[in-house]
Amino acid sequence: MTAQATRSKTRPAGTWTSTGDRRPPATGKVLTYAVLIALSIVVLAPVVWTVLSSFKTQAELAQRPPTILPDSFGLTNYTEAMQTFRFATYLKNSVVVTVGATVLTLMINTTAAYGLAKYNFRGRNFLFLVTLGTIMIPLQIILIPVYQVASDLHLVNSLWGLIIPPAATPTGVFLLRQYMLGIPDDLIEAARIDGAGEFRIFLRIIVPLCGAPIAVLTIFSVIWRWNDFLWPLIISQSQDKYTLPVALAQFDSQLVVPFNYILAMSVVSMLPVIIIFLVLQRHIVRGIASTGLK
Amino acid sequence: MTLFARRERRSPTANGRGAPRRRTVPRNQRLAPYLFVLPNMLIFAVFIVYPTINNFNISAYDSNNGRTFRYVGGRNYSELVDNAEFWAAARATALFAVCFVVLVTAASIGLAMLLDQRIRGRGLFRAVFFLPVLLSPVVVGLIWGWIFDRNNGLANTVLRGVGLGEPGWLINDKLAMTVVIFVALWTHVGFYTMIILAGLQGIDPTYHEAAMIDGASSWQRFRSVTLPLLRPTTMVVVILSMIAGFQAFDFIWTLTGGGPVGATTLMVQYIYQHAFESPIRYGLASAGSVVLFCTIFGLTALNFLYNHRKAAA
Amino acid sequence: MRRHAAILTAAGFAAALLTACSPGSSSDSGGAQQADEKKLTYVYFTDGPDEQATRNLIAEFEKQTGAKIDLQIVPFANLEQQLQARLSGDNAPDIARLSNIDPFRDDLLDLNAFEKSALDGQFIDGAKAYITGKDGGLLAVPSDLTMNGPMINVDQFKKANVALPDPKKPWTWTELIAAAKKVQQANKTQYAIAMDVSGHRFATMLSQYGTTYFTEDGQVALDKAKATAAVKQFADLNNSGAMPKDVWLQAGSKYKGANEVFLAQQVPVYISGNWQVSAFDKTAKFTWKAVPNPCQDRCGGFPGGKFMVSFKKSKHQKLAAQFIAWMNSAESQKKMCQQAAFLPTRKDLIASGIDFPTRGEDMNLFLADVKQTPADTYANVYNPAFSAAANAARDELAKVLAGKETPDAAVDAMRTAAQKALEVTK
Repeated sequence: MTAQATRSKTRPAGTWTSTGDRRPPATGKVLTYAVLIALSIVVLAPVVWTVLSSFKTQAELAQRPPTILPDSFGLTNYTEAMQTFRFATYLKNSVVVTVGATVLTLMINTTAAYGLAKYNFRGRNFLFLVTLGTIMIPLQIILIPVYQVASDLHLVNSLWGLIIPPAATPTGVFLLRQYMLGIPDDLIEAARIDGAGEFRIFLRIIVPLCGAPIAVLTIFSVIWRWNDFLWPLIISQSQDKYTLPVALAQFDSQLVVPFNYILAMSVVSMLPVIIIFLVLQRHIVRGIASTGLK
Repeated sequence: MTLFARRERRSPTANGRGAPRRRTVPRNQRLAPYLFVLPNMLIFAVFIVYPTINNFNISAYDSNNGRTFRYVGGRNYSELVDNAEFWAAARATALFAVCFVVLVTAASIGLAMLLDQRIRGRGLFRAVFFLPVLLSPVVVGLIWGWIFDRNNGLANTVLRGVGLGEPGWLINDKLAMTVVIFVALWTHVGFYTMIILAGLQGIDPTYHEAAMIDGASSWQRFRSVTLPLLRPTTMVVVILSMIAGFQAFDFIWTLTGGGPVGATTLMVQYIYQHAFESPIRYGLASAGSVVLFCTIFGLTALNFLYNHRKAAA
Repeated sequence: MRRHAAILTAAGFAAALLTACSPGSSSDSGGAQQADEKKLTYVYFTDGPDEQATRNLIAEFEKQTGAKIDLQIVPFANLEQQLQARLSGDNAPDIARLSNIDPFRDDLLDLNAFEKSALDGQFIDGAKAYITGKDGGLLAVPSDLTMNGPMINVDQFKKANVALPDPKKPWTWTELIAAAKKVQQANKTQYAIAMDVSGHRFATMLSQYGTTYFTEDGQVALDKAKATAAVKQFADLNNSGAMPKDVWLQAGSKYKGANEVFLAQQVPVYISGNWQVSAFDKTAKFTWKAVPNPCQDRCGGFPGGKFMVSFKKSKHQKLAAQFIAWMNSAESQKKMCQQAAFLPTRKDLIASGIDFPTRGEDMNLFLADVKQTPADTYANVYNPAFSAAANAARDELAKVLAGKETPDAAVDAMRTAAQKALEVTK
């Protein structure tokens, strides 16, 4: 990818932040920066453009050619859009569902991954195949049969219905299992010889070693549940159970909704995940980088 | 990636002596794994596996509301085969999935190589490329649809500024498909780049040192050291992106609505529309989803087999 | 591996056997057990200001009867999907507002069983066949009538010195196009005429060109020559840039209103319907008004409508029927029409007319067009196959605009689709 190599013999010890240890040559370095900066602009431009435009009035949005900066950074779009619905309720529901589902996901995915990675039992490969298989099934396809199950279990129109069914993520099991395969069996064996019980081994030895993939799964679970749309739309039937994306869609559905409001609400829906990502970012990069996907 | 780890063939104690398995494993160790996997597998079974199997069943019925059913046997499938829109959606899905898999794999390897160097602000760049992964697909489609609007969109404002005219991004079928693929790349490349970076990290630096001593250029080292050793990681990216590619729907729905003239209507949208839009053909939709499921399943299996054989050779 | 494959297959068969009987929901008995509490859920979609009008009426009903009504607002695009899901579970709402009752016919409550005296025969005759069930029951009440028609930007017409049409002598399509283009040039707007991306709106143009999707006795109509003329005119307008081709093609198969273009003052003539009136009254920053539908072969616009229904699975059937009857009494419907700028569906209100407190002139113009509108259009919009035929027309038009089909072939395809839709719904 980089230009012609000049050979550098010195190689500083790699830390997690410097997994790579190739020192690029000067011209290559310039090129690398140029490409990375250009790509960053492509990635950031639409998001920045959205944020800037979310402060514009309808007339400003229709203007040709559009101005870059809004006339003012007043929060009118935001306040008016939020007044249109019971924002606090939806925000609370979204938070409850996101946190609840993420906690549950972490609990059942880690145990399942451990069972699949570190035990030899009848049906294990079959269960692993099922796990892989379920990655392939989008909800849209099986919406009504799933809904019927949820309904038979009285999960409809309750936040539990948003927390339990999506909690068993196949991707999570898959990632964690791959990581756990890399943990030496000797560690477990030694603990067994010391007389530790199976669950204790899992809790005291395995989980602390899995910090990285757990961080990854946390952020993904947060992203998935926060942005979930179709399932909450079907399950949350009364307004006091709506999550943010469902409320947004309701807003979008009214025949005459000014686009400036939609932009403002889109920005609002982005903020929490971006904040969580920035807080967890260090762990995530490290986490993905060591999830054992190798 | 180790899919079916060899050591698992032995006992969980894994001392490798080939001790007769059943006798050495205490009872609690035999029971434990079932308890560990139980909660997760229970939810899988109830909310994914059972409805999916039920879906096979539904595909043999006709229904105009998803609730009252009439048995029709294989007629839904023969109707699919005769349906031009189905084949159009199948072709569009294949085109999209192939382009997406190839481009996203290549792009994430390229980007990961760039980010794997010792450069300033690497953490910042990684965060930036990861940003689109965080956004809701509905919002992503909405934003890009607005940017690619022919008259008032940002894209054409810029192009007009430099005298490149105003292409009808979303009203020309080839351009619209290009836009859809581009937006899919924009959204997902950050995620796959992270996976590739993890793979690069796992490559033992001594290989590179050995190659350097042999006087290999950096391109040669990339070709003959990095790529082969990265193969298992690449396979994960290929499989995950292939599954994502075949399932693409929500951002396309808000971006192009499947248009112009069905040019970007992929399988999931085809299924979705038959299940929920007038005239409702719920059984036909189920038959479509069975076909989609089998396709994804078959391709994934092929992928595994190919890689296992390659790894064994 | 072979053993696992065998297990997988076996598990699959076992599960298939378990479900093989019928994939429908387990509890599919006719009537639901009735509960006593006075609480109703009302699933609603909104076009804007009608929501407040509905809430006001609900408050009044609650005060009169002591009942409690939970208004649940659902995005229009997801209404059918959510209702299907709720019905397939055991969480049917008591009342719903629908624009298409067809997918739910088997689930709807016969309102005559409870409120025959208040409801039977009170509503426009055109809807009668549509709202009557197989065994003669009253499945739905037409709660409001909509009328498609053009709205214009008066400021732009003034600036261009173009006269507005005389309500007694409407434009022909040719005159409308000439006027719109002149205004477009004078004001340098992007387009001359805009229409929502909707087969229902296009049906207006079809009707004015002398044909419709279906005949009054439910056969495919769509006169080849007349429909082709309409499609050709529509395609010419779009290809010449007078209409926003982009809006139509970019929408794909989603509904897309062109109201944004009109509100941004980028088009002087906007063909939509009366439901825009109260919203435009609040949001438009310029002078606008409704004008009569253009006459070509025929005059008048195209009707549409919303319905109120209850379900067999409702646990409060009696109260639900009472609420529907109350909401559609002459007094309530009049209030609703006045506050939300809706058109009435009751025969007595249509006969007596309504004083609209705001934008009365525009509303009466739409009402006047109701009288001009040919009877077969009602048979169309109330034909069970209408939405499927309209969706097909929308898709075929997109093909013509994309240059993938001739107007001739498009009309043939629309006919085929309409025929198929009839067969499916039978």
